[in-house]
Amino acid sequence: MIDVSAFNEALGIMFSSVGSWGWIVPGLIVGLVFSAIPGISITMAMAIVLPMSLYMDFFSAIVFLTSVYTGAGFGGSVPAILMNIPGSPSSFATTFDGYAMSQKGEHNEALGYALFASTLCGIAGYVLLLLVIEPLADIVLRIGPVEMFAVAIWGMMLLGSLGSTYISRGLLAAALGILLGTVGMNTAGFTRGTLGLPVLLDGIAPIPAMIGLLAASQLLSLASRDYIIEAEGSREVSLRKILKGCWGTLKYPGVLLRGSIIGIIIGAVPGVGSSIGNLIAYAETKRTAKDSATFGKGNPKGVIAAESAVASGEGGSMATMLALGIPGGGATAILIAAFMMHNIVPGPSFIETQKPMVYAIILNNIVQAIVLLAVGIGFIYVASNIMKVRTRYVLPAILVIATLGTFAVTGEAAGPITLFVFALLGYALNRYQYPVSAVVVGILLGRMLETEFLRSYQLSGGNPLYVLERPGAMAIFAVMFISLGMTAWGKRKQNRAEAAEALALRQIQEETRAAHTTPSKG
Amino acid sequence: MRIGRHSYAIDYGHLALITFIAALVFWYLLDARSVSLSVNNLLLVQPVAIFALAMYLFIVPQCFHKVEAREAAKPSSENDPFAVSLSTDRADVMRMAALGVSLGLMVFLLDVIGFDIAIFLFAAAAMAICGERRPLHLLFFSLAVTLVTIYGFRALISYPMHTTLL
Repeated sequence: MIDVSAFNEALGIMFSSVGSWGWIVPGLIVGLVFSAIPGISITMAMAIVLPMSLYMDFFSAIVFLTSVYTGAGFGGSVPAILMNIPGSPSSFATTFDGYAMSQKGEHNEALGYALFASTLCGIAGYVLLLLVIEPLADIVLRIGPVEMFAVAIWGMMLLGSLGSTYISRGLLAAALGILLGTVGMNTAGFTRGTLGLPVLLDGIAPIPAMIGLLAASQLLSLASRDYIIEAEGSREVSLRKILKGCWGTLKYPGVLLRGSIIGIIIGAVPGVGSSIGNLIAYAETKRTAKDSATFGKGNPKGVIAAESAVASGEGGSMATMLALGIPGGGATAILIAAFMMHNIVPGPSFIETQKPMVYAIILNNIVQAIVLLAVGIGFIYVASNIMKVRTRYVLPAILVIATLGTFAVTGEAAGPITLFVFALLGYALNRYQYPVSAVVVGILLGRMLETEFLRSYQLSGGNPLYVLERPGAMAIFAVMFISLGMTAWGKRKQNRAEAAEALALRQIQEETRAAHTTPSKG
Repeated sequence: MRIGRHSYAIDYGHLALITFIAALVFWYLLDARSVSLSVNNLLLVQPVAIFALAMYLFIVPQCFHKVEAREAAKPSSENDPFAVSLSTDRADVMRMAALGVSLGLMVFLLDVIGFDIAIFLFAAAAMAICGERRPLHLLFFSLAVTLVTIYGFRALISYPMHTTLL
């Protein structure tokens, strides 16, 4: 399952580029700090530090960014456990039992469970990736342009349909992203949508656009708050109790395994990601547990299930990114941008030609998960204070860094201007519940989609029935339409149920109000 | 707005956003068609643009809410911790708009007045917008942001960065 010679070369890459190891701890700290601040997401953290990686060599850049990703996976659980406020959506399920444990005075143990589950399942996700990347490479090499186009369209459809409450808004966002990604000169030599600006001939600069959409737009919306979050007082932190929690995690191997499997599968599907994976893992663990009645009241299994899915989801999403070159969400979209900045295109040919590098990236992520254990414990000590930073200090500093970051990428004012334009667009899209990540991925994949579609058209000679000769593509299209139909049906059902529930709630409130007002009249 | 027996509330902001997107898509389609009608040019752009315009027509009715339905929908969104909870309070919206304007001014003035002055003015303006009123804090924190970012990025990047004082 493992190409031994490539594996040995990977070890050589790791030990010959010792400088890259130095980026693990800063990356983890950046990820932990940013994701512990509610309102600042993993993707925002990665988008802000992305330009810095331009000046590193390729391996160091990927080590740094994946360290941010790894740190962010756990960072969000700290405020989730201590304050019932998930630092990022992927820590939502951690609040259910984590905060309940915290209220019982078991916050140290809860943090220990979360940290050790994150470490173990982060490693599990990447070990599995290490084992499957070789067979996966053989499969993806058989993928032609038609299948590649089908997979990319499927990914966009999923991102669009699952990233928002409204499927139609998600699909419009995905279509807008694809169109923005095709601005400039296409592979056939036609130039569109440049407004006569030479800077747009190569298309919209994806990194400034991404930083604007994912980071700056969110930061603008924080201007109305004095503190990013009104935090409770800090709680006493005990290393002994945290380690006790870490040790206690090993008592639940079944929960860890289930959470990991769910996390890996969900993480590998574009558009779904860890924000849903942790909820599914939690629900499944609760459903199958004998003591399901204690879930939500401080059951450690709830914390472990949620955190294991978040941590292992990273390995799953990296599998899709490395094998197909398709980002599963915002964070992997940024990793793809980092690959592109170093003129490397992830996907089938990357795995085939750079197998030692792929192994080195995976092995380094395993190291990161181990280092997280030490850095994470240190971080818990300072975490409760981080959340009390006033926006008046955070906002100007981060916005200036983001702006200069885009300048560092483009070397001209076009970068900051792109950031500004897309920050406004991102703000407006967020305001009306359009999934911004669908636009980002569209911008990244637009050019690739058009190229693969053109190749398919040229191969088929313009005959649409050519797709019938490609069973793989047909299967992907079939799955795409079925999953889209099921999502639409599910959301319709969910919306109806929510509307009925809201109506019932309103009736109860009105009845209660009427019951309270009637005696006073009398 | 009243249609028949029902009262409708129009979400003008949402309507303006999707109309802007639809206009942008329509212009892009026309621009692409004006370049060439070759299949190699329009193979992806035309169907995706038409799909986006179809989605626009599908979304437009979502900008019109029955007044009663809108009121009923409010509590459910309040219960969702991940619902987009951007403040609609006038003062908050003004703050966000002011921050957006000052970001735009900084971006467009970077090459005109120099990165150092533009960053200093933006940092001070952003702090003031977020509520800082103490002059010394405004001065020293903005100065610190300017010095750290200018010297930090100058050490990091190879492009010339136009500055007036630093």
